[in-house]
Amino acid sequence: MAETRSMFVLIAGGGRTGAQLASFLVSQHHEVVVIEHRPQILAHIHRELPTEVVFEGNATDPDVLERAGIRRAQVLAACMGGDADNLALCFIARSRYAVTRTIATINNPRNAWLFDAHFHVDVAVNQAEILASLIEQEMSLGEMMTLLKLRRGRYSLVEDKIQPGSRAVGVALRDLPLPPKAVIAAIIRNGEIVIPRGQVTFDAGDEVLAIVDEDEVEELAAIFGHPVPIVGEPR
Amino acid sequence: MYVIVVGCGRVGAELAQLLSRREHDVTVIDQVGSSFSHLDPAWRGRTIEAEAMAEGVLEKAGIRHAQGLAAVTNSDAVNAVVGHMARELYHVSNVVVRNYDPRWLPMHEAFGLQVVSSTAWGAQRIEELLYQPLGRAVFSAGNGEVEVYELVVPEFWRGRKVGDLVAGTEAVAVAFTRAGRSLLPQPDLVLEPSDILLVSATLAGIEALRERAAPAGGPR
Repeated sequence: MAETRSMFVLIAGGGRTGAQLASFLVSQHHEVVVIEHRPQILAHIHRELPTEVVFEGNATDPDVLERAGIRRAQVLAACMGGDADNLALCFIARSRYAVTRTIATINNPRNAWLFDAHFHVDVAVNQAEILASLIEQEMSLGEMMTLLKLRRGRYSLVEDKIQPGSRAVGVALRDLPLPPKAVIAAIIRNGEIVIPRGQVTFDAGDEVLAIVDEDEVEELAAIFGHPVPIVGEPR
Repeated sequence: MYVIVVGCGRVGAELAQLLSRREHDVTVIDQVGSSFSHLDPAWRGRTIEAEAMAEGVLEKAGIRHAQGLAAVTNSDAVNAVVGHMARELYHVSNVVVRNYDPRWLPMHEAFGLQVVSSTAWGAQRIEELLYQPLGRAVFSAGNGEVEVYELVVPEFWRGRKVGDLVAGTEAVAVAFTRAGRSLLPQPDLVLEPSDILLVSATLAGIEALRERAAPAGGPR
């Protein structure tokens, strides 16, 4: 894996999201400080995180932000339980301390409209929206999982498992009726990557990685998934 | 003037009623319906039970044609966010936010909003009254960081010059009254007992003057 440059990330709020983010970033060898003032949460994160990562104080106090190192932070992640706090933190991080990148979590989806440039929020993480879209996908696409939404355009990297009896079984890739805006990136068979050339035929149990336009995800899922059940057929 | 008041606690209710008494048109927003019981039952303004930050609520309250907005909830962060949106997105010309916890004041200042800190101001006034001090505050600027005090010159100051009294303190003499006649105090003005001196001072400034009003080693 390519070596990435280490960043200094300041995390405001050591609740579930903030603490998880901190331990992930620590494992990636980034420099991290989590600011938290609630005694119970502090007791918890002191067990989970190295001592030097935890800074005790209220993140909405500029003096605390300064002592925690905001002046040299490249990223501020506002993960507090109140949306107004997160907005105020992003605002002050950019306007007073010139932090290059700000990220904020949205607690109440009805406040999502505020998370924009008016408060210098670069990235807003709307957990309710992510959860809702995952549930929606699970319900409509069977086995198919979205691994990554490509940042520009409407494409996603998806993974699917070829089901016994699906339209793809025994068919060569060049004969597969793929939707126009979809391409197969890789096939994983018995844990090995198979390069997807035209003559490769699909077996049940193969895992397929594909890049696909969001409008054609369901069409693609229908090719690899279970045969469409006939309505009214006795079980 | 059309004014939106966000937060219907004691401050919000009092403010809404004051504005109505002066014939202004007022809408009060509070996320808890029972808060509207702080309003006089005879009050005839509009109330909206909703979170002011939630999408569409400020619009529903008519923020696009409001000339004033006061954010006076007991959440400093909500007050800052609502005040900032009122000014930046809706261009409301008069926006005032309440500071509830004095530790939040630096954040409010970072937003550059007009802030009224009733907690800090009230505590300072009470502290002054508790001292039974020489000099009573007759005017407060800002949130009481600078106040104008009226001092009745004590016997101990007889023959002292105004300039010497205030030298090296955070206090400035602004008016002087002797026998009912006022003038601007010059530094070389010599004081007599019962002269009335008005000084503009910080808390540290008035404290320093009080020190100087007591004979060295004597009771304060």
